Amino acid sequence: MISTITDRLLLSIPVLFGVLLFGFLLLQLVPGDPARVVAGPTAPPEVVEAIRVEMGLDQPVLVQFWAFLERMATGDLGRSMISNKAVTEELASAIGPTLELMFACLVWSIPLGIAMGTLAAVKRGTLIDRGIMALSVAGVSLPIFFIGLLAVQYLGVVWPIFPFIGRGGPLWTYDGFMHMFLPALSLGAILVGPVARMTRSSVLEVLKLDHVRTARAKGLSERSVILRHGLRNALIPVVTLVGLQAGYLMGGAVVTETIFSLPGIGRLVVGAILSSDFTVAQGGILVFALGFICINLIVDILYSLLDPRVRK
Amino acid sequence: MTMAAAETDAVSAPASTAAAAPSPEDAAPPRRASWGRRLMRDRAAVLALGTLAIICLGALLAPVLATHDPYVNTRSVMTPPVWAEGGEWAYLLGTDGQGRDIFSRLLYGTRLTLLIGLVSVGIGGFVGSMIGLLSAFYPRVDSWLMRIMDMLLSFPAILLGLALVAVMGQGAVPVIIALAISSVPDCARIARGIAAGVMKMEFIEAGRAVGLSDAALFRRYLLRNCISSIMIFISLRFGQVILIGAALSFLGLGARPPLAELGMMASQGRDFLLFAPHIAVIPSVAIFVIVLAANVAGDALRDVLDPRLQT
Repeated sequence: MISTITDRLLLSIPVLFGVLLFGFLLLQLVPGDPARVVAGPTAPPEVVEAIRVEMGLDQPVLVQFWAFLERMATGDLGRSMISNKAVTEELASAIGPTLELMFACLVWSIPLGIAMGTLAAVKRGTLIDRGIMALSVAGVSLPIFFIGLLAVQYLGVVWPIFPFIGRGGPLWTYDGFMHMFLPALSLGAILVGPVARMTRSSVLEVLKLDHVRTARAKGLSERSVILRHGLRNALIPVVTLVGLQAGYLMGGAVVTETIFSLPGIGRLVVGAILSSDFTVAQGGILVFALGFICINLIVDILYSLLDPRVRK
Repeated sequence: MTMAAAETDAVSAPASTAAAAPSPEDAAPPRRASWGRRLMRDRAAVLALGTLAIICLGALLAPVLATHDPYVNTRSVMTPPVWAEGGEWAYLLGTDGQGRDIFSRLLYGTRLTLLIGLVSVGIGGFVGSMIGLLSAFYPRVDSWLMRIMDMLLSFPAILLGLALVAVMGQGAVPVIIALAISSVPDCARIARGIAAGVMKMEFIEAGRAVGLSDAALFRRYLLRNCISSIMIFISLRFGQVILIGAALSFLGLGARPPLAELGMMASQGRDFLLFAPHIAVIPSVAIFVIVLAANVAGDALRDVLDPRLQT
């Protein structure tokens, strides 16, 4: 068990290195002269030159990369080219809403997806099964922003039940919850379909196995056969699916934050890109990449916890 | 390869099974004769394929079918669609916030959206499948290639898109590159799984025994037996790529105005949601229909041509 986790941690080192290299190259490849961007278009050449030396831009690329790694290790992501605030500060204030959104979205969509998938598998071939599968194919095909726009239109404007602009405070407060409702609804909607689909096929697969037949032969109730012997084993691929969907979910979070003006990382990055604030964009993209690595690490570890066969 | 990823591979595509690849002796002619008929029996598939055909035709014929210039502003701003109150026959689907005809923009937008999807899936699918096939064919490079694919896999498409747009500026090109790159590792892994099954077949050994060159063995024995399964997977990926591309355009990071692109049109309609929801809803529905049709058709093709790939 321990060795599985160590293996996985070791495996993520090259990936982490790749991510950092990628983040570094990002600023290298930006068109134009970063020193000029920082100094502003009207700054005299000597100021630009001073900034170039200060930022270390006159050094060879490898030296710059090393300096970049050193700064990363100390958590220094530079300063915003626009607000001049530390990038880490900007990111720190934006990460809360993003995590809240992710949590609020997963907490309803995954259980619902699992329930729908199990129901479809149990009622295989019936109208219920077909209905659920049709819904899930439709869900997979929905553009991420469509539900968000509909939610704003119908639950925000026509029947003004929920606020749809900004954040109301922490999730556990009434106002925070109300503000998070529509974003979590629209982001979670893209996850229900895939989860239901995966659960259905996985449950169908497991219900064919010998131990399920044994459980039935023992005279267990159908309910207990399905929930305790079927679903429990069927959930393993579902865990993996969530890991695989993490990237798509992240994209969804970026779009959702933009629609609902949630001050999260996604909106920060998009705003930074549109206003050429490269250091903030770089920081945000690095945070997303790190988050993605962490999610997949957790999924892999969970996986080996759930499935003893993976542990060797 | 991460463990979890390896396992899903096995779940989503039991491609490592030799049965995934039809052996050439399996009497190809009767099979070919029947799959078309089986496909036609699936009403949903027929409907989806028909819809796709109409959409593609509409996109191709956009300059002919468009009733107005899609880029010219007029004074009739926010006209509702013809079936709604206040709609005019001159503007079938109404006009947008700048008075541009939505029907014409929809045709041109679909064109660009489909083009972005096709080009990126085409490039990504080709490069990815080649990498996958090569790594099954030459076990020596296998672990290296797959390790690189794992690295790529840890950059979700949307991140790549954001990064490339940050570097290259807004436009359709960085979006296409990002979508293509992010399609590579998925396609490579699927192709490798399918090809690994084929490589175990006896006819490969027979081909080697009669002294075929690597190139001939690769092209005539391996590629031909994998291509249909790989194509099915690529067609299933198409819908996803369209969705991510539309999301990037929606964020204002895709094609630049005044060009019409469905995601961008939806995003422009956002500002008029209160007074004229149709401006945002019509392009969103268009994306939904395209992706839904592509997904249903891809699923049906898979069921008919290669049931072993079923999830």
